[in-house]
Amino acid sequence: MEDSVITFLEKTLQRIPSSSLKSILSEWGFLSAEQLQDLHFQQSKHILHNKVLAFCEENGVRIRHVIQLDMIYNHEYPNKRNWSVYQFSGQQDDALVLNVTEFSQKFKVNLKDLLRHVSIGMKQFEDDAVWIRVAWGDNFTKPNQFKPTYVVYQLQTPYVFISNLNVKHRPLLSQALVIATKHDEIKEIQLRGRCLKSLKDLVLRRYKQSFQTHQLKPLQERNSPERDQGIVHEHAKRLADLKEVATQTFGDGPLPKLETAVFKLETKFKDPENRILTNRPEPFRCAVKFSSPSFLESLKSLVTLGIASAPVSPLLSSIPQKARNHFVISERGPGVPSTPAP
Amino acid sequence: MSVLKTFNKLPELNTANIMLVGSDVSDLEKLSRSIMDENHSFNVNVRLAQSLPLPVENEDSRPRIDLLVFMVNLRSSYSLSLAESSLKFIDPHYFLGKVYFLATGARSSHLSSDLLPSLRKLSASSHSPVLFADLESDSDRLSVARRFLTLLRIAAGLVPGASALFLNTLLKGAPASANEDPPN
Repeated sequence: MEDSVITFLEKTLQRIPSSSLKSILSEWGFLSAEQLQDLHFQQSKHILHNKVLAFCEENGVRIRHVIQLDMIYNHEYPNKRNWSVYQFSGQQDDALVLNVTEFSQKFKVNLKDLLRHVSIGMKQFEDDAVWIRVAWGDNFTKPNQFKPTYVVYQLQTPYVFISNLNVKHRPLLSQALVIATKHDEIKEIQLRGRCLKSLKDLVLRRYKQSFQTHQLKPLQERNSPERDQGIVHEHAKRLADLKEVATQTFGDGPLPKLETAVFKLETKFKDPENRILTNRPEPFRCAVKFSSPSFLESLKSLVTLGIASAPVSPLLSSIPQKARNHFVISERGPGVPSTPAP
Repeated sequence: MSVLKTFNKLPELNTANIMLVGSDVSDLEKLSRSIMDENHSFNVNVRLAQSLPLPVENEDSRPRIDLLVFMVNLRSSYSLSLAESSLKFIDPHYFLGKVYFLATGARSSHLSSDLLPSLRKLSASSHSPVLFADLESDSDRLSVARRFLTLLRIAAGLVPGASALFLNTLLKGAPASANEDPPN
């Protein structure tokens, strides 16, 4: 039993939280049923891990088994990683009728041709996504299993979600993907986030969109709970108006979860009182970054509470429609954006 | 300009009205729920507003307001500036003990260092005490609600022998610092 396999297994086990250890181990299927029964999941994590390691040694664990375990863990907890979205373009004729086994064969062959020491794991979880895990080495060293790149390819769509891709490995991975999926090229779109499900929803337009049609106002409810009868909002009409504006701009249902929005400005500095910076010919570079656990929801609450002035700037409200996080605003573009009023 | 007047409406029997003014609607609602939930031997009505001046439509239905509480969140300078600007729209008679400031969020570590001194200056210049509270847990809200109910009873005149002005002279808060105007 190699030391590297043991360290890799230990590190993977340590990341799994105790609450889901049982389900992940049973899904992994490497330990036999008696061994699983032998583990008492109420014991301390340290004792449990030692037991699992002992069982794995008995069963003769190899790197590929640990890779499977790592993939199951990452599939269960995809929100711990930062994902970027890539899009294929220029599909060839038979790209839509993609056979998964054919795709995985081609991908593995291509990548191994380009770089000798890569370790590739592939698994198809739900019916529509293929998870690929690539651990990179170079021509002389073995693959580094502790910093793998994850690729999630949505079947039947031209979108791929990639996490933790190093700049120098990017052309290799892109080439392998493009050849295996029979497209012409792959491009990164300016959308990044942590919540994989939200990224998928945004890109495939699966969330509940807001349409600018006339919304019928619901009938005024009576003050139903008795204790609310003493509480009166002075500005009730204004609050109701703000809520309506918020729902018109952002839609009714839960919004996709994005962590940041970055606007890079490359416009000229415009302030009539400041003469030193205004007359420069080159653009004034600055970046505005919004960050929050769920940026779109917080923006909607800001409008509802009246802290941000409505109507919201189209740069912010069009984020769900455009499915982008990072924008570059230049002189010929939408002009100088306005931030919400304090 | 509509100014909130003290004595232009008749009081109701065994009723007291409190108005909470603050920029954060959810905080206002939390406090008002706790006040309504608390046992009281008299009727309590709570009016909530984000800022003064109040909309004119409500002028007729609005009862006489016995106690005004300005909620200032020590984490946002916006709430302090809102409270400051709202002070202009109050009848001066309110400042004889019927205005209180409630400062929330004092336990937070991201405290901006100049909000609390400005709030204290504001309270000293308007002779209105500052109370501190946090509306996070049920017990915190309960204790704040009880304090305000006691103050409300006195301000509405439901306690014989005590009035809001009398209470105000007892609850002076922090002693006046050297650079302030001496109280007359």
